Amino acid sequence: MSLFSNVIPSFGRSNACDANGGAADLGATVKPAFRTSETAEAYGLTVYLPGVTKENLEITGENDQIRIIGRRAFKQPEGWTSLHRETADATFELVLDHTGGVDVEKIQAQLQDGVLQLTLPKAEALKPRKIAVS
Amino acid sequence: MRIVRYNYPNYRRFVPSAGLFDRSPWTGLETEIDRLVQTALTGVATLTGSQVPVDVFEDQANTYVRAELPGVAREAVNVEVVDGVLNLTAARKQQNDGQEESTSFSRSITLSDDVQPEKIGAAYENGVLTVTLPKREVATPKKVTVEVR
Repeated sequence: MSLFSNVIPSFGRSNACDANGGAADLGATVKPAFRTSETAEAYGLTVYLPGVTKENLEITGENDQIRIIGRRAFKQPEGWTSLHRETADATFELVLDHTGGVDVEKIQAQLQDGVLQLTLPKAEALKPRKIAVS
Repeated sequence: MRIVRYNYPNYRRFVPSAGLFDRSPWTGLETEIDRLVQTALTGVATLTGSQVPVDVFEDQANTYVRAELPGVAREAVNVEVVDGVLNLTAARKQQNDGQEESTSFSRSITLSDDVQPEKIGAAYENGVLTVTLPKREVATPKKVTVEVR
């Protein structure tokens, strides 16, 4: 699979909207836009989750994976007819594998105006360290 | 370990309709085809991040426009109506590794004639801007009975 995904990039990529969803109870999910950054101490992750409030946000870390699930708080009120939709009602789901490189206990997260900022401190074993020569 | 950023194409469902504020039903399709051609030629999908998904709803009294603009400060959002066109512009400043990065968004939507521009309201919450456009009250047709002599 990885061989082919290099030759024809679109084969390796799955659809942004996964009809089956990551977990059976989420239904259709959409992958949010996100960006990553790195400093010596930690990784930074910015995820764009418009329309998601703190109550509807779930961040879990298990099995070397960080999973972010955001449900949209908007329910179309009765009496509103939709003329044009470009957003989806699908839940946001983002799953990132970190293979042990992140210290899950110390992750910090802030959600403001639909932007989730995560600070993922690097695991101790991976921090650069000086080795003394005896 | 490295975090490698994947840029996924952001598929959106377009519902073209002839009655949408005089916008051509093909505009959405054209944009999508342009984007697909660009992806095929360069081999990498570019998530430009300055596209604004917009929903339009209406009920008896108002038309509502919802735009997804995460991370924008309230003061940086501009909502203007000029000549029957609703212009939404916003700027977002971000700190990325100590460097400030700013992205600007803009979207224009042609409004139908029955909107009262003076009474437009807008609210920004959780990264979503909702613009409420009241409709003009329709005068009830007066019935005049004429006696024929």
